[in-house]
Amino acid sequence: MIEFDEQEKRMVLKLVYYGPALSGKTTNLLRLHDLLVREGRGELMVLDTVDDRTIFFDLLPFFLVAPSGLKIKIKLYTVPGQVKHDATRKAVLQRADGVVFIADSQTAEAANNFASFDNLEKNLAVVGLAIDRLPLVVQFNKRDLREIIPEGEIRRTWGEAGVSVIMASALRGWGVVETFRALAQQVYDHVDARHRLREAHGLERDDFLRKLTTVVDG
Amino acid sequence: MATEREADISFVVGEEKRLTDIVSAAEVVPLLKGMVRAGAAEVAVLDAEGRTLWQEKSAAAGVKLAGALPICLEGEPVGKLVIKGCAGREESLKGLARLLLDALNTIIANNLKRMLTTEIHTAVVNQSYAELLETNRRLAESEARYRELAGELEKKVEERTCELKQAHARLLQQEKMASVGQLAAGMAHEINNPLGFITSNLNTLQKYVQRLLEMLEFYRTMVGDDGATAAIAAAAHGKWQSLKLDLVCADINALIGQSQGGAERIGKIVADLKGFSHIDELAEGVADLNAELDRTISVLDHEIPGDAEIVRYYHPLPGLPCNPALLCQAFFNIIRNALQARNSGLRLVIGTLCDGAGIRVTFADNGPGIAPGVGDRIFEPFFTTREVGSGTGMGLAVAYDIVTRYGGAIEAESPAGGGALFTVTLPLQRMEHVKVP
Repeated sequence: MIEFDEQEKRMVLKLVYYGPALSGKTTNLLRLHDLLVREGRGELMVLDTVDDRTIFFDLLPFFLVAPSGLKIKIKLYTVPGQVKHDATRKAVLQRADGVVFIADSQTAEAANNFASFDNLEKNLAVVGLAIDRLPLVVQFNKRDLREIIPEGEIRRTWGEAGVSVIMASALRGWGVVETFRALAQQVYDHVDARHRLREAHGLERDDFLRKLTTVVDG
Repeated sequence: MATEREADISFVVGEEKRLTDIVSAAEVVPLLKGMVRAGAAEVAVLDAEGRTLWQEKSAAAGVKLAGALPICLEGEPVGKLVIKGCAGREESLKGLARLLLDALNTIIANNLKRMLTTEIHTAVVNQSYAELLETNRRLAESEARYRELAGELEKKVEERTCELKQAHARLLQQEKMASVGQLAAGMAHEINNPLGFITSNLNTLQKYVQRLLEMLEFYRTMVGDDGATAAIAAAAHGKWQSLKLDLVCADINALIGQSQGGAERIGKIVADLKGFSHIDELAEGVADLNAELDRTISVLDHEIPGDAEIVRYYHPLPGLPCNPALLCQAFFNIIRNALQARNSGLRLVIGTLCDGAGIRVTFADNGPGIAPGVGDRIFEPFFTTREVGSGTGMGLAVAYDIVTRYGGAIEAESPAGGGALFTVTLPLQRMEHVKVP
């Protein structure tokens, strides 16, 4: 549900990091904040936590201006993963323009991944969004650990559904930017189809991606 | 679901905000004043379009632009910090400007964080409350539904119990009638045996008496008035006279004839009883309803008052497959009902007719008719218009039960000419699904 104000020439896009508890959603945002160049990126806002567990959400904003003068703000949100915070998840998921699902690769967490994805589907339906029309990327995090679900198995399972899946270790910092880039690509295509970013605003896909996902040297 | 969705939509978190939404003059102005006290000639915060939001000046003149610093909100430049100062103090003012900018950005970040926390908290509370209301509404709804169901269930149970009671009462009554019929039939059977030899003996006795009378006559003619037998004749005549044998001879034939007639009547009554109860045919058969009606009337003969007139308008009827005993029971009850309708001067017209598909039997009496308002109820079990104790209220109910079980109908009305008219219609082809025990 792209928020677009033609008179003000403003567009706000909302991307949500979803997933089971302790799968690394906040860590993903922290790494993005560290890895990406500062230009056009706002500060990471971590709302109050309890024992380092997210109870509200985290927010990492991006800001860019298209050649036409269209101001685009992109806000990355996390949701609390704990089951009891479902009302907060629903509130954050309102009007999302894309979702990253952060799964925990550990074999012991398979059931939690499943339950959380099920919860995502249910809540999307509740807030009036269709999961099959929403930009969606699945990240299997914690690939640096042992006792994890083999990549082949994951690709077989998710490949059939046609969902882009990215392997990552947010703690080590790899796969995080790739995940964001994969979602940003889908979101660009999604927005371009409706608001002609390239034709009407002169914003090329590569420019869009470069502005969002340029990594700091060294 | 639709209402839930609409309710949720209003609780969106993180709506776009302007700089003035986040910081107030009370927070910014003291900082600007401090800057002026520290040596700046003029300090101002402008919005993105360059309009002045807040401004502080010192009395000192000779101002010079020290620099415009961007104020960012979520990475977006939303304003500028503009500082003017005296020449030669640029370096110290730059350091102060940087400090002021950091202070402003910290205030903005903290305020935004607090606002977002409040927003999400409010959204969650509102949403949870809306969900609770919805849950409460659904619970109340389902409670009401269960209440309704429970109430209906009670009513259903009452209805079924009432139906069961009525069916039970009917069965009891039918069984009673059946056993009364069986008793009567059994008695009839027992009466038949002695009646057989009584009838046979009476016939033989009649022949013997004829012979005795003949012999007596022979003696009387042989004993004449002449000589030797005259004395015997005189004595015999005297004895004849004293024994009143003239009278005996004249009466004896009549006595025997009457006895024979009586025995014959007993025989007929017994036969009717047996026929009526159909003790000999236990199962289904094909019945001629005209004959069954006659038989039923015979059984009721003793209840028919002397001055009553029973008129039969019978038409030839095809055989009806049925249990004749049951149908006789139904006719018995209807006719008996008519007999009780009037004490004297009763006229009951019984008609039969076949229209090809079914048989219609009508019973029309000249009694008081059916009282208005009770028409619907006269076939109900235990419904009676007679005095308590004199009617069981079961007669017409049993008749109704039997006729409907044969797929037929029974109707009661009070025709314009007075009296009551009962019409029984019975289909010749019984419906397949109608089971008759």
